[in-house]
Amino acid sequence: RNFYFINIMHIICKYSLVEHLKYTTCANLIQLCTLLYQKNDSTFKNRTAAMDLSQKVRVLCWVMTQPQHLKSRTQHIRATWGRRCNIVLYMSSEASDFPTVGLNVSEGRNQLYWKTIRAFQHIHMHHLDDADWFLKADDDTFVVLENLRYGLSKHNTEEPLYFGRRFKPFVAQGYMSGGAGYILSKEALRRFVKGFADGLCSHNTNIEDIGLGKCMETMKVQLGDSRDVLGRQTFHPYPPHYYLPRQLPRPRPWYLLYEHYHPVEGPGCCSDLAISFHYIDAVQMHTLEYYTYHLHPYGYKYRFNPDERSDNRNNN
Amino acid sequence: YLQVQFFFEHLTPQVIVYMSLSVSKLNSNILIAENRRAAPEFSQKVRVLCWVMTQPKHLKSRTQHIRATWGKRCNIVLYMSSEVSDFPTVGLNVSEGRSQLYWKTIRAFQHIHTHHLDDADWFLKADDDTFVVLENLRYGLSKHNAEEPQYFGRRFTPFIAQGYMSGGAGYVLSKEALRRFVKGFADGLCTHNTETEDVGLGKCMETMKVQMGDSRDVLGRQTFHPYPPDYYLPRQTPRPRPWYLIYEHYQPVEGPGCCSDLAISFHYIDAVQMHTLEYYTYHLRPYGYKYRFKLTTLLSKTLIALALETQWFTRKALVNPNLGCHSFKEERTSVCLIVMCLRIDGKSSFPNI
Repeated sequence: RNFYFINIMHIICKYSLVEHLKYTTCANLIQLCTLLYQKNDSTFKNRTAAMDLSQKVRVLCWVMTQPQHLKSRTQHIRATWGRRCNIVLYMSSEASDFPTVGLNVSEGRNQLYWKTIRAFQHIHMHHLDDADWFLKADDDTFVVLENLRYGLSKHNTEEPLYFGRRFKPFVAQGYMSGGAGYILSKEALRRFVKGFADGLCSHNTNIEDIGLGKCMETMKVQLGDSRDVLGRQTFHPYPPHYYLPRQLPRPRPWYLLYEHYHPVEGPGCCSDLAISFHYIDAVQMHTLEYYTYHLHPYGYKYRFNPDERSDNRNNN
Repeated sequence: YLQVQFFFEHLTPQVIVYMSLSVSKLNSNILIAENRRAAPEFSQKVRVLCWVMTQPKHLKSRTQHIRATWGKRCNIVLYMSSEVSDFPTVGLNVSEGRSQLYWKTIRAFQHIHTHHLDDADWFLKADDDTFVVLENLRYGLSKHNAEEPQYFGRRFTPFIAQGYMSGGAGYVLSKEALRRFVKGFADGLCTHNTETEDVGLGKCMETMKVQMGDSRDVLGRQTFHPYPPDYYLPRQTPRPRPWYLIYEHYQPVEGPGCCSDLAISFHYIDAVQMHTLEYYTYHLRPYGYKYRFKLTTLLSKTLIALALETQWFTRKALVNPNLGCHSFKEERTSVCLIVMCLRIDGKSSFPNI
C-alpha cells in the first residue's frame, strides 16, 4: 500500500511508551485511520445539526439555586449540562465566584417566587438580546439542550409562548411545572416583566410555577405543547423511573392527576428526545450525562425519527 | 477537517511543520454520525447465543424484563433454569441455590454444546440481573476469531494464575473455548471443584489453555461492568478500595474514564432499571449530536506521543497559547497537531519528494 504510511506506523509502534498505545495494536490504528479518512468531505460539509441550532436557537438557562447547594448540587450542573447553554446564570441570594448572580432576596421555600421574579427582571435588564429563549431550571433538574433547541426551532420567539410540562389546576389555562423546567420566549419574558412593572402581575403566591403561570395568563402568553410528534412528553417533573415502568392499577399519584394531557405510564411516557428530568441528585447528574451523551449501541438505527411523521407510523 | 499533509522529507526535529487545527472542530467532530442506516450485518456475521442464569422464582420478577428488553437482540437466547417451562426455560438437571451455580453453568454449556454449537459463533453467559448491549458486544467481538480459544469479560486477578472473568458482568466464550470447556469435563481435566461459578470456569479455562481476552475499548475503558454505572461514574474522594476494585486486573478507573461509550454490560440491574437502561440506551439521545468518538483523540494522542518521543515539540510549544493552539478539555493538554490520515485510495496528495 503506502510505503510511508507503513513507516509511520512502525515508528509509532516502536515508540509506544505512552500508556494508551498499549490498548491498541498498529492494525487498529491503521483501521482507525482508514475509517477517519473515509468520512469524506460531504459528511463534514453538513455541519452537525446540533451545532447549527446552537446559533440559531440561543438559550439562556438560569438555575434556581442557593449558597448551601452550590457544592452539593449546582457544581454538578456546571460540570454537565450547564455548559451547553448559550448563557448559563446561577441565581442565588448572594453573588459569588461560582459564579452566581445575587438577587435581592433571601433564601427559603417562601421566597421562590420572589427569586423567579427578580431573576427574570435581571435577565430582561441585562441579557434580553443575548438569547432567544429563556429557560428556568432547578438545581436538581437535568436538561438536554440539543433536544430543547430542536423543539424550539419550530417556534417563533417573538410570539408570546411558554413551554414546559403542562399542569391543569389552579390557573384557568393551566401552568408549567416548575421542577421540570419551563422556557419563555422573548416576547413572553417582556410581557412578564411588563406585567410587574405595570402592576398587572403581583407577588400573589409563594408557589413560583403557579404564580408565573397566573401572570402568563394575565399577560396573554400562550401555553405551548412540548410533546413530540408521537405525543410523548419531553419535560418531566420526576426522574425516568417514575414513568417508564408500567404500573399495576393503583390510586393515581398527584403528579399524574395534575396532568393537562392524558398521562401515559410505560414506554410511551417519555420521548426519545426528552428535554428534562427533575429530582436528579448529584450522582444521577453524571450517570444521566453518561447515558445521554456517551452510552449508545454501535451502529444502531434509532427507530424514532423526529422529522418524519410517516416514518414513525410505519415503525409503530 | 483533518486533511493535513504530512511531509516526510521534513521529518527532522529541527523543522516543525504544523497546522493548528481548530480543536473545537476536532472535539465536536463527527466520526460516527447518527445515520439512518441500520447496524451492519454484524448480527449475521457475529452470531451470539445468550444464556441467562435464572430460576423459577425469578421468572416474573426478573427474567421477564430481560425477555422484554435485551433478550430479543441475541441471535438465540436461552433461559436456563432447574425446570423447563413455557417461559420458555431450559430445564437443567440441577437444583436451585447459590451452591449449585457452577453445576448450572457446567450443565448449561454442555446443553449448548450438544444442541446449539453450530447455531452461533460466541456464547454469552449473563445473570438475570445483567443488562447487555448486544450491538456493542458484536462490535467488540467482530475483530476476533471464534475458532480461537479465548474468552472475554471483566477480568479479575485473584484465585487463578491467569485470572478469571466476573460472572455477574457476563462473559463470552468463543466456539473453541466452549468446545474445550466441555471437553475438559468429558476428559476429567476439569471438575466441579468450587461453587463459585466464575472462578470455577476460569480455572477450567486456564487448564484448557483458553486465553483471557481484553475487552476494553481503544481508550482503555471497560465495557463489562459487575455493578451499575453509578458505582463507577462518580469521582470518589479517597477511601479504602472496595473489593470490586481490588480484584481488578487492569488498573481500575473511577469517574468518567471508567466506562466505555460502547459499554456492553451492567450487573445488579433490577426490573425497573432494565427498562430505564433500555430507554437510556436505545431511545434517549440528544438530537443531532455527534458522538465524540475516540478516533480523533486516539490519533492525536498517538501523534503527541510520537512527537514527544522524537522531541519535535518542546513542552513549551505544546502549551503556548500564542501559537493559536487550543486545549483538549478532556486530555488537559494543549497541542498543535499534525494529524494525518494518509490517503490510501492511491491518489496520494503528497508533494513530490
